[in-house]
Amino acid sequence: MDRRSALKLMGAASAAAGLGVMPGVARAADKVTIALIPGLTADGFYVTMHKGAEAAAKAVGAELIYQGGAEWNAALQVPIVDAIIAKKPAAILIAPNDKKQLVQPLKKAFDAGIQVVCVDTFIGTGVFQTGSGDADFPISYVASDNVLGGRMAARALAKAIGEKGKVYVSNTLPNVSTTDQREQGFKDEMKNYKDVEVLETQFNGDDANKAAAQLQAVLGRVPDLAGVFGANLFSAGGTANGVKSAGKAGKIKLAGFDAPESIVSQLKDGTFELTIAQHPAEIGYFGFMAAYAQVTGNPVPTAIGTGFTVMTGANIDDPKVSRYLYKSS
Amino acid sequence: MAISPTDVSPGVRLLMRIAELRAWLFLIVLIVFFEVWAEIGFHSTFIFSTYNLQSITVFATAPLLLALGQTFVIISAGIDLSLGFVMGLASVLAAHVCNYAGETLGLPPFLAMLCGMAAGVVITFIPGLVNGWLIARLRVPPFIGTLGMYGVARGAAYLFAGGMTIAVNNDWYSAVGNGRVFGVPVLVILTGVACLILHYMLSETRFGQHTYAMGASQPAARRAGINIGNLTMKIYFLSAIMSGVSGVLYTGRFTAGAPQAGEPLLLDSIAAVVIGGASLFGGSGNIGGTIAGALVIAVIQYGLVFIDVEPFWQFIAVGAVIIISVLVDQTQRRFLGGRQVE
Repeated sequence: MDRRSALKLMGAASAAAGLGVMPGVARAADKVTIALIPGLTADGFYVTMHKGAEAAAKAVGAELIYQGGAEWNAALQVPIVDAIIAKKPAAILIAPNDKKQLVQPLKKAFDAGIQVVCVDTFIGTGVFQTGSGDADFPISYVASDNVLGGRMAARALAKAIGEKGKVYVSNTLPNVSTTDQREQGFKDEMKNYKDVEVLETQFNGDDANKAAAQLQAVLGRVPDLAGVFGANLFSAGGTANGVKSAGKAGKIKLAGFDAPESIVSQLKDGTFELTIAQHPAEIGYFGFMAAYAQVTGNPVPTAIGTGFTVMTGANIDDPKVSRYLYKSS
Repeated sequence: MAISPTDVSPGVRLLMRIAELRAWLFLIVLIVFFEVWAEIGFHSTFIFSTYNLQSITVFATAPLLLALGQTFVIISAGIDLSLGFVMGLASVLAAHVCNYAGETLGLPPFLAMLCGMAAGVVITFIPGLVNGWLIARLRVPPFIGTLGMYGVARGAAYLFAGGMTIAVNNDWYSAVGNGRVFGVPVLVILTGVACLILHYMLSETRFGQHTYAMGASQPAARRAGINIGNLTMKIYFLSAIMSGVSGVLYTGRFTAGAPQAGEPLLLDSIAAVVIGGASLFGGSGNIGGTIAGALVIAVIQYGLVFIDVEPFWQFIAVGAVIIISVLVDQTQRRFLGGRQVE
């Protein structure tokens, strides 16, 4: 036997072996393994999402692998995807760090027979299984509708300021899909209130110190500022500090986004008028279930939208509301 | 080292003096610019407003505290990249210990706060000593050694925090971070005290003088009998402690410990030192300049929001000031033929 045919034979043998453990088509008796790769590990939102996915895994007796990077960076997330592919799970749930840079790495997983579900953030357009484009292969996108979240914040904030006055959006950085959508939803909805003026957005780069100073600077110029929408945790927290330092606590109404446990006391003491809580545990739970349904041969919707809860000082003690707080442990 | 008056002509001396004070000149130019804009643009005042003054000075405290320690490091011709996350580590630990002391041990709020603050500062001894040990004993270049510590401190801070911000419910601690005494924010008073102490250490003590000597020429300093190893250890230890102080105060201000508290402040701290007149080649710089440098950055960032300019101009403005500042430094060096000015 010459060397070339020996190689061919080996190739055929390994292909056959590969078919035998083909991960995409798990039989009922096999324990299904599904991996969750969060946008970053150091964030209560994803910690809570992990818990939701764990609950789903337990419910169906499947196994969950959880592995992610410490910061939001596609260059860090790609090697993690590669490492997870090597473990050959049946499916990967991922919050991609970049719409474009994660397409090829995830395509590699798909080509290896691993199903892909996007949670929270997406690749390509976020519209999957349409048969067009190169980022169409994920089976489903499970997330909050952030435009709707922004709209809910606008409605609640407008009510809190008596439907008139000047407001602005404190945001992290431009071109982040989720926070951009919140800002867009907020601004669109505010157009329905003709006595509310939305000022220029302030970007703080997730620096609470800067968000605080920006609030004070805007207030210096606009003494009749009525309210602020903090589009993520650092924006909202920093702005709250700026309001407190300016001695305007309770007078300038703050709408926050997201719900760490620390928000409870801040809602009660009036630092925040309201906050829009996403349901990350639901995202984790339904994301996991979508992947599980797919690998066990059941149909899956290509998009699953999860809800929001408006939290205020008045309703936060209600267990139906407080169960949506993001848990650290 | 200082040049004696007989070395140079009066004209050159004047130019040197101006170059030394360039950060303060920048500051004045910026304040006048914003004042004029505010007066003409919307008939308001920028600088004659206690509200604006309080806002700007509080804004400057966190990066300034980091920059004070960084001043010593940069004068010694080193760099400390770890201090942003050392600050985060201190912030998280202070929050945890304060909560533990108050809630589990049942200490009164004031004592719980002190426990938290002490723990936050003490934990920074570890990164400070390790940085110093790597650089002084193992001869690791400061850039690499502190970059490694940047990662270690960051991981440790996130681990301690469990990936979350740690809320603190302690009225005393909140008052330190947000209170005022006779209208002056407590944070500004504490930062002012730190400035005085570090100014004294740098300009009046042997430790300070040796730091200049080491930065100007390490071999010369060694031949003059300065123990470079010990000195390096002390400098990085001081830098870590100042990061700890900054982190501990951050926790009070935002009533939460955040692992990433100092991440955006690292570059601001280096920029403040450089704008303040220190050279990254070592041997020059002073605390007064660093204070002005931190205020320049705070005034630009606050002022541009105040006058309602597109936010991205902030980056361009701060960048331009850094470049101008370094150009002034280079020109001055050429002028003096390589001689050092404190």
